[in-house]
Parts: sequence; C-alpha cells; structure tokens
Amino acid sequence: MAWEWIYNSVKALFDFGDEVLERLVGLLCYDPSSPLTLTSGLFLFAFFLFGLGYLAVRNRSYLRTLYVVIFSLYFYYKLSGVYTLLLLFVAVSDFLIGRGLYRRRERGLSGGLYVALSVVINVSILVYFKATDFFVGVVNGLYGSGTLDWESVVVPAGVSFFVFQSIAYVVDISRGEIKPLRHLSDYIFLLSFFPKMFLGPLVKAREFIPQIEAPKVVVTREDFGRAVSLIAGGLIKYAVISKSLGMLFVAPAFAGEMGDSGVVALLAIYGFTLQIYCDFSGYSDIAQGVALMLGFRLPDNFNAPYHSATITEFWRRWHISLSTWLKEYLYISLGGNRKGAFRTYLNLIITMFLGGLWHGVGVTFMAWGLLHGLALALHKVWLKVVPGAKALGADMKPMRRVLATLFTFHLVSFGWLLFTAKDMGVVADMLHNIAYNFSIEDIVPVVEKSVVAFVVMALGYLLHLMPRGVDEALRRGVTSVGFVGQLVIMVVAIWAVMQCNAMLAAEVGAAAGLPIYAAF
Amino acid sequence: MVRKNPHSDISPRLGWFTLAVIIVMIALGVVPQFELFGMRFERVDILSELRENENEVVEYEADIERLEQELAAMEILDTLPVVDSLSLLPPVRYEWIVEDETCHKRASLRSADIKAIAERCSVAIEDFDTLATSRFERFVDKLASGEGVRIAFMGDSFVEGDILTSDLREQLQRIFGGRGVGFVSCDIPFTTVRRSAKRASSGWSAYSVMKPKSAPQDVADKFFVSGYLAKGGVGAKTRLASTQAFEHLDSCTRARVLLYSRDTSSVEVAINDTVINEIEVAGYDRMREIYIEAAAIESLTVRVAKGDILCYGLSLEGGEGVTVDNFSVRSNNGHAIFGTGAMVNREIDELLGYDMVVLQYGLNIMQKGQRGYSGYRKQLCDMVAYAERCFPNAAILIMGVSDRWVEGSNGMYEPIGSVDALSAAQRAAADSTNVTFWNTAAAMATYGGMPEFVARGWAAKDYTHINFAGGKRIAELLTYAIVEPVYRRVERREVEMQREAEWQMLKEATINVRRELNMVRPSLDTLIMRGLK
Repeated sequence: MAWEWIYNSVKALFDFGDEVLERLVGLLCYDPSSPLTLTSGLFLFAFFLFGLGYLAVRNRSYLRTLYVVIFSLYFYYKLSGVYTLLLLFVAVSDFLIGRGLYRRRERGLSGGLYVALSVVINVSILVYFKATDFFVGVVNGLYGSGTLDWESVVVPAGVSFFVFQSIAYVVDISRGEIKPLRHLSDYIFLLSFFPKMFLGPLVKAREFIPQIEAPKVVVTREDFGRAVSLIAGGLIKYAVISKSLGMLFVAPAFAGEMGDSGVVALLAIYGFTLQIYCDFSGYSDIAQGVALMLGFRLPDNFNAPYHSATITEFWRRWHISLSTWLKEYLYISLGGNRKGAFRTYLNLIITMFLGGLWHGVGVTFMAWGLLHGLALALHKVWLKVVPGAKALGADMKPMRRVLATLFTFHLVSFGWLLFTAKDMGVVADMLHNIAYNFSIEDIVPVVEKSVVAFVVMALGYLLHLMPRGVDEALRRGVTSVGFVGQLVIMVVAIWAVMQCNAMLAAEVGAAAGLPIYAAF
Repeated sequence: MVRKNPHSDISPRLGWFTLAVIIVMIALGVVPQFELFGMRFERVDILSELRENENEVVEYEADIERLEQELAAMEILDTLPVVDSLSLLPPVRYEWIVEDETCHKRASLRSADIKAIAERCSVAIEDFDTLATSRFERFVDKLASGEGVRIAFMGDSFVEGDILTSDLREQLQRIFGGRGVGFVSCDIPFTTVRRSAKRASSGWSAYSVMKPKSAPQDVADKFFVSGYLAKGGVGAKTRLASTQAFEHLDSCTRARVLLYSRDTSSVEVAINDTVINEIEVAGYDRMREIYIEAAAIESLTVRVAKGDILCYGLSLEGGEGVTVDNFSVRSNNGHAIFGTGAMVNREIDELLGYDMVVLQYGLNIMQKGQRGYSGYRKQLCDMVAYAERCFPNAAILIMGVSDRWVEGSNGMYEPIGSVDALSAAQRAAADSTNVTFWNTAAAMATYGGMPEFVARGWAAKDYTHINFAGGKRIAELLTYAIVEPVYRRVERREVEMQREAEWQMLKEATINVRRELNMVRPSLDTLIMRGLK
C-alpha cells in the first residue's frame, strides 16, 4: 500500500505529459507575461543550474566574469526581452567613452565633451522611455487626441538603474576617482550583475571593481548564514507582508472600495508606508543575499528608515544607493553647498524635484519631490536657526527623539500619499476625508473587513520597531543553526510565500504582481 | 571537537543548499491541502511552472484600445465609395431564395396570454440603465410588439450541449414564436452530444479560441464569440439537421452559412439533401453570409467545392420570433471574448442583428470560501465593454453564477461559500457598466438551491453542473424574468389603448350631445321667448 502511494505520488509529481520539450523551450524564451525575477519559482531552478557552473569557474576571475555576464544577460533577456540590446549599447558606449576620457585626462586635456556625450546619451534614453508618454498626452490634450500618433512603449526593466550607474562610472573617471576597466566584460558585469539588475542597489564602480577583479571568491560561514537570513527575511517582507497588505487593503482602499471615511484614508496611508518599505527593501535584501551566496557584497540600501528622527536622516536611511547617487552626481554637480546658503537650499530642492520627476513624469511625483526638497531645505535652516537642534535622532534626548520620529514618519507617510495616488484628485479626496470625515469608531468595520491585512500591518510595524541589535542577533542565529537549520528556514519562507500567493489568489482573485519599484 | 575556521571558504554549500531546497520543496508537494487553526493551507507545487497543463488555456487580457482601432478602421472601410469594379467590394450577403417565404409580422401579444407566466417571476432581471431608452427596454419593446429578436447566449461548460438554452429557446419560441436551433458551429475540435441539433462534419481542421497557439496565424485573429472556427479545403463538409427533441426545431424557413474566403472559392449548399445550389464566393477580406429562404428546411449541408474557406457555422431559423444561439466554450471565464476578432463580431452582428447578449460565466473561478472578486469584477467590466462595442444594439445580460456546493472534510457536501460574493461582484459589474443582471443562484434558491437540484436529479452529483432537467428549471425561471417586463409593457400599452378608446367614446358622446342640443336649440329658444313674453 505504502509503496503504491509513493509510486503514485512520484508519478503525479513528474507527470509532465508529452510536450515537455516544447514547454521547456517556451519557458526559456522571453515571455512578457511572466518575467523572471528573483522570486519566481523558475529562478530557484535556474539559480541551481547556474550555481553548478559558477562553482567550477569561481576562482578564475576572467572566466567567472564571462560566465556571470552571460547568465546575467540571459536573466535580463527573460526580464525584458529585446531591450538586452539597449543594455549592451549603454555598456559599450560608456565603456568606450570612459576609455577615451581617461586618455585625454592623461594628456592633461579636458574631458568635458566626453562626459557631456555620455550624459546626453544616457539621459535621452531615460527621457525617451519615461517622458514621451507624458508629452504626447499633453500635446494630444491640447490639440485633440490623435494629433500625435504614439503607442506607449514598454519601459525596459531597471533602465534607470543601469543608466545611472553608467553615468556615475564616466563622471568618476572624469573626477579622477577611478581608472577605466580593462575588459568590456567587466563593465557589462558591473552594469548587469543579475541580483541587482532589477531593483538595485546601485553599486559604485570604485567599490565594486575590486570584487570583480578579485582572484577568488570567499564565502564564509557567516556570509552564508547572513545570505540565508537576508533571502528568507526578504521573501517574508516582499512576498508576504507587502503583497498581502497591498492587495488586501491598500489597493482597494485607494480605489475607494473600502468606503470614504477618514479612518480608511489614514490607514491606507500608513498601510502604503509599510508596504512600499517592505516591498522595496525586501527585494533588495533578496538581491543582497543572492549576491552574497556568490561571494559578492552589495551595499545596504535601507537602514530602518522609519526610525529616522529628521528628514535629513530619512534620506540617509531610505534607498541609500539612490540618495547617495543623487547627492554625488546631481547635487554636487549643481554646486552643492559651495555657493552660499541660498544656492544650497535651491540645489537641494532642484535635486529632490528631479529625483521625484525620475519616478515618473507627472504632477504627483513633482509634488512629492518638491515636498521632500522643501523639507530638506527647511531642516537645514532649522539646524542653523534653532540652538541645540540635532541632525540625527541618536544625538537627541529620548523624549524629543520620539516626538521627532513621529513627526518625520508622518511627513514621509503623507509624502507617500502623493507618491502613490494616481492624480491630485485622489490626494485631495483623501486629505479631505481625514480632515472632515474622521471619526474613530469607523475603525471597527474597516478592520473587521480585512483582518488579515491588519494583523500583517501590525506585525510589520512591530518588526520595523525592533532595535538594530535584534536584527544582528537573528543573523548570527541563522549562521549558528548550520546547514539543516538554514534549510528549514529557507523552506519555511518559500512555503509561506506560496501559501500567501494561494491565499491572495483566493481572496482577491488576482496573481501577485511585480515589485512597486519595478515601475521606475 | 574540531573548531571550524570561521574564515574558510564554503562556497560549494551554494550548490548543496539550493539542491536541498529544491528537493524538500518538491517533496512538500505530496502534503495535501489541510486546515490548521481555521486557516487553510494549499498543496504547494514548485514544479507548476514546468508542468504541462492538460487543459492549458490562454487567459486573454482586455485590449479595448485595439478594439476601438479595429472598429474605427472598419468604419473607414464602410464609408469608402463603391467603385465599379465589383470584385473589390462585393456584396457581403449571397441570397438564395428557394421559395419566397414572406415573413408576417406577428399579431401583437395580449397581456392575458402571458399574465400567468409573468406572475410566476420571483427573481427579476435588474436593469441598471435607468433611461427609458436602455437597450434592455428596446429588447422588451421588440418582444412586446411582436418583432423578432436574436439572443447570443455566451457561456461555459454549464450550458455545453445546449443545456438550459434549448429549454429557454423552446419556451421563448412557444410564447413569442420563432423556429429553429439557431447558430451551430461548423466543426469543433472535440466531440460533444447535443440533442437539439444533429451535426455531421468531415474534412475540416477545427480550432478553439481557448488554444489560439494551435491555430495558424490566419485563423487566430478571426475567431467569433462562438469560440470555434473550422478551416477546410475541397471536400470539407458539414450537415446540420433539425431534430424533434424540442418543439419548433423543425420546419425552418431560414438558413444561413457564415464563412470567410480570402480567395475566390465555391461552396455547394443543399437544402433537405435534394435542392442543391453551388455559390461562387468572391475572395475578399470580409465576412460572407449565404442566406437561404425556403419552406420547411429540415437539413442544411455545406460542402467546399473549390478553394479554401474558414467556416464559422450554420444556422436554422424561422423568419420571425425568437432565435437563441448557444455559444458555450469550455473552461472559458469570459476572457475568451478578448481573443475574438472585433471586426468579425461586428460584421456577424451586422448580418444577424443581435438584440441580447447573455454572459454566463464564473463557475470555474469560484474557490471555496473566497470572499473577494474585485479582480474578476474589473475583468467583467472590460468584457461588457468589449461585448457592447461588438454588438452595439444588444442588451447585455450578466447571468449570475449558479449555486455550487463542494465536498467538505467530513465527506458531506457544504456550500462553497463564495456564491454570494461572486454574484455580488457580477451585479456590481452590471451596475457600473449600466447593463442588466439576473441572479441565477437566487433563482435556484426558489427550489431550495443545489442540494434540492441534486436530490431531484436535476444536477450532477458534483453539486456543480446541472443536467438537462435542471437546465429546464432555470430556463423556466429565466423565461419568467424575461416575460415579466414584456407583460408590464403590453399591459401598459393595453391600458393606454383602452384609455384612448374611452377618450374617443367620450369625445364622440360629447359631440353627439352637442349636436342634439343644437338641433333642439331653435325650439328651446322659441319656448324661452314665449315664456318671457
């Protein structure tokens, strides 16, 4: 009996049918409806097969680079299809520009034209993919629809990430901070390394190049434990907390399906605040963990951002690699703080405004950028004017710090409202409801309607409130439980994600989509 | 105990670890669905992406924009001046009048005829278009005034084999007149049993809109909402014959063949296997209809004599009353409409003139205990938008999902628990798109719901699919719901007519009184004059 059961189970599991080959070919080709991400089921198998080859070549730096480049390009092809050619074009053009620029610098000549060329190429790619829709919309709105015949294009996945890194590389050479890479494959590696391909973090050439060129990779026990905890934790944050909160409560609330009380609006804002953090940081954690298993260290992209006591501190803890990029290549290029107080404030506002615009050309993103720019500038003024004002929460007295943290959290949350609302009408409606339609007893029916979402929300915020030490202790714990323990942790995380997906499919009737930041 | 060096390289663990994760995840696939602390855990299947699904079907996405473009292109084509070269824009309809069967407009209904039927209506059709000019009102008007109507009944396996629709057709034809089974697909890629029509097809390659990948390119964009398309060369043949399984199916007076011929071809059409005509179809990129009028059509045979054609289907009808076309497509949740050609639908609508489109879907997406269907509601709104553009004169009726029970953990059947949620989502979709909705589950509840259907032998033991007997009950309930507004309309008309008649009588009476008064006035006047003196 038992044998029969096992036999039938195995048969059921591997019952592939006749068209297995055709199906496999279909799986290996680009399919816009199912892009390959780090959280696809298919990635687990792809990563295993990739890993076997990787282990064989890991200590020969040139072969290793070539192998990873080929897999990364394939990964990008599965993610974005024909745009792989665009990635290659950017890589080749900036690789050549970087070389030419370096040669001129060696001869003591100015490389301004080279930098300008690179910036023009990269920025036009960005503008083409991000802004054309908006301008066509404006023109058609002014002169009647159909004035400009334009079918909106699919934006290549992660285009801004590789474009930004490429600009940074050329600018760094012109500033004399790095030497150009010797091999084109190294440069493609820098741009396309698959764990960070989709959502970053952005890596700096000067920090990443030594890792590419290292003769051998070393993954210590601690590294591996950290990688497992990053991936498992990231999966829970990204695919369980963010997805269920977003699909069960935030999305319906923003669509007006939860009623129009002030309580719903406020909870939707708090919900999205947690959702976008878990979504983005969770995926970044997975990327970091996958890279670490291969022996590559990607920089931290988040550092408990809602612990920030000031808006300045927030931008040192949120999407760190992007805010660093904006600071180094936009703010400093604009003159930074070297041209007097007024220009400093203006530069801050311009930087954040453009940062907002980068997320999408539209009024809401402009408003979001302006809000953060103004807040940063005002905070600079505050630090100057108010005696005893501190830039960071760690320097504040406890009571003051709690109040400042609450204030900053709400500033950021209401900023997210601008960020996620589809137009200013939604923003106005929600603010109106919070101001004039708020009664606390409305909370009971709302919470009753989606209990799961609120349990998840409470849990998510509780986890976020944990001090840094708990996080570190957990990481060490994962290292110490050894192979079997780590296996159990990973399996439980993957299993939880699959159960969550099944639950969401049942509750909402839709499959979980891509990360929020995939749109940028 | 050997102390492990914390700095040694353990890279190979990557391989072992991922392999172990894969093995354990595959092994977890044998754990069946279970419940713990009131939460349900599904069987996990990490290999699902690799597994070939037997019934794999394409889930179409709505693309209303493309549809608008196609329809706009068609209108441009329509307004092109007709040039003298007939081969460029040949007529779309080929008429073959065997016997001139003039179609008489039926005498108007009397409310007394249908009062008893209308009074049985317990669950009414809800019309969310509140304007008096709504398409559903027009549909009711047509029925009330004795004009013919054509209904496209689109559904899933629930109505496969003409379950429900054959009874709906029979009952509507009994009340409003009409004959024939309506549209029947030329050939389909699997075998079905259908009592309401006998079809024998040979020599075709049949394709389904649910598996467009298996269809050649020139077929894939040509699907009609019937869902099936047959491609055939010389010798391909289909014979459609009437049956007597239901009333009014025989002695039809109209027959049609819908086809598409890119290059010139020749089609042999036979009526009752004896009267034969070969029709040359000029090649052009538009829909073709062979339209036949004859007395007492019992069978229609179509055979390709020259060239290649795409054949949609054959139709047997009467020249008046109600025609119900059953368009059932297995495991379709309604999405398949997005895979049908907008121009194809519009062209066939121009030829056949649909007055009502029924969307009967949802049975397949229900899951036990599911409470939210906002995703499906949005898709349904897109489906309605698509159907409205393809069938611009038809009233859209969203038919709510039927009652369904599932086997519980103790082996007893229990309500699936998601019928109300899905019905509510369907109703909400009808509300937001201003179309009509009929709550099937509520109608079934008047008989006691699915358990009673199973107990009385009206539904299969899976507590999901009704059989012909059950379909008959639901068809009756739907007929009552359709007749009810017609009755009110007829009654109102009769009241108005009666008022009009009374008014006329009053007017005449007044005139008479006046006339008589005038006649007696002179003598009255003299009397009064005398009295005064």
